[in-house]
Amino acid sequence: MIAVLVDAFSVGGLYALTALGIGLIFSVMRLANFAHAEFVTVPAYALFVLSGHPVIMAIASSVLIAVMLALATERIAFRPLRGIDPATMLIASFAVSMFLQRLLVFAFDSRIKPVDPLAVLAGSVRLFGAQINLLKLTTMVTCLVLLVALTVFLKYTRFGLEMRAAAEDFTMSRLLGVRANRVIATAFVLSALLAAVVAVLFSAQTGFVHPRFGLQIVIIAFVATVIGGLGNLVGAAVGGFLVGVVSTLLQSFLPPDLRPFREAFLFFIVILVLLFRPQGLFPARGLKERI
Amino acid sequence: MSALLKVRDLRVRYGRITALYDVDLDVSAGEIVAIIGPNGAGKTSFLSAIAGVVPADGGTIEFRGEDILRLPMEESVRRGIALVPEGRHVLPGLTVMENLRLGATIRTDADAVRSDLERFLDAFPILRERRNEPAGRLSGGEQQMLVIARALMSRPAMLMLDEPSLGLGPRIVEQVYDMIMDARKQGVTILVVEQNARRALAVADRTHVLNGGIIRLSGTADTLAGDPQFEAAYFGLRTAKDGVVP
Repeated sequence: MIAVLVDAFSVGGLYALTALGIGLIFSVMRLANFAHAEFVTVPAYALFVLSGHPVIMAIASSVLIAVMLALATERIAFRPLRGIDPATMLIASFAVSMFLQRLLVFAFDSRIKPVDPLAVLAGSVRLFGAQINLLKLTTMVTCLVLLVALTVFLKYTRFGLEMRAAAEDFTMSRLLGVRANRVIATAFVLSALLAAVVAVLFSAQTGFVHPRFGLQIVIIAFVATVIGGLGNLVGAAVGGFLVGVVSTLLQSFLPPDLRPFREAFLFFIVILVLLFRPQGLFPARGLKERI
Repeated sequence: MSALLKVRDLRVRYGRITALYDVDLDVSAGEIVAIIGPNGAGKTSFLSAIAGVVPADGGTIEFRGEDILRLPMEESVRRGIALVPEGRHVLPGLTVMENLRLGATIRTDADAVRSDLERFLDAFPILRERRNEPAGRLSGGEQQMLVIARALMSRPAMLMLDEPSLGLGPRIVEQVYDMIMDARKQGVTILVVEQNARRALAVADRTHVLNGGIIRLSGTADTLAGDPQFEAAYFGLRTAKDGVVP
């Protein structure tokens, strides 16, 4: 039972981090960034390319690559579109996503590549009388630490205050002197950091990468942000966590015949939630028109 | 007196609709200047263009002798212009304290910021009492006090207010205007836009009547009140002399 819970929480944590990465950018610029999938896939490929090198170096490089990719994407693709309606930006993010995905196919072909960035964590430990997979435990703890760190950053630092202000009312924040470019760049950097961590932990669990590696997790995380309430970070985290936990529990407790269809059950629950709470579990305040 | 703010031939357009036609206006340091006019006269567009919220279509805006026409809005506050927009715009989910601290975003003198904060909290006990509550929970009047205090936290040379009395009861309006007069006493120049013409005329050194995107009439409260054209200018009635209503 404890093993199942650790499993559920680790998956929930990964979805929560992914949903937060999407939510951070959405909250400051109303961009539903579909290219977040590639913010996860690209660093995972970096791990593949750097496998054989020291683990710390491989991880550090992939984080750095994710951050640079995010900043470049913001500068080249999204900054010229800033202030345009969210639908246009969403389509632009599809374009960025497709472009990067095809680029990866071009560079590495579309077959799966083995990665194992956290081979050191292959074993398991005994905890409260249960065999707990070390990697899953690490994933769970890492996600928790990052959630706390992000909360502290947003709540108690000056940058964090500026980001929350921008999320509430972007124009008013700029009138108070909050620099739009800096806030948005910060959101992209944080989003990429979270994406890179997800890439490391998730690829360590699956053991391989492929061009649609990030997409599978980001699609679910998008659903999670909608359930949580778009534009609300607490909602995104809770939504991501719930989706991960529910999907793992379905995997464990559904009758074996039905397990292949667990996603159908998951999305059935999603539909139910949205029928009763169309704004999500935690509706955002700042979505109304600005000045 | 040299002009702090000097606006010439300012033109603002939204697509095919022109909001301001070649507006000229000066504000001298230490003055209170009011712009009055009915809804849709172009008052908000005027302040928005100065703050950089909307782009000007033509003309010049000089502040302290510098051209600020094309500055993005986060820079205008760094040049000393603070705008309290219409509808207050507190950051509703942030606490009262956080709202005030954001007012000092551009400042680096942490000690002075802290003492300014204390000064506002002393002046408005209700803000101190509710300093850790989300600003969205304050009443309309309290929110108006908060956004004016927040704007003053940047220590602006000029404070622009868009309809500060809108939707507030008469007692609160008095408090808001006391606050504005206090700021003026501290040396802040005031440019205020009002539909509440009587209220604005009572405090302003000079008042301009804006209607249909054109300044129709300018003067002191006394001259305007006695001017037979005042009502026509304000309400946009056509008169023999005033044949240019677009």
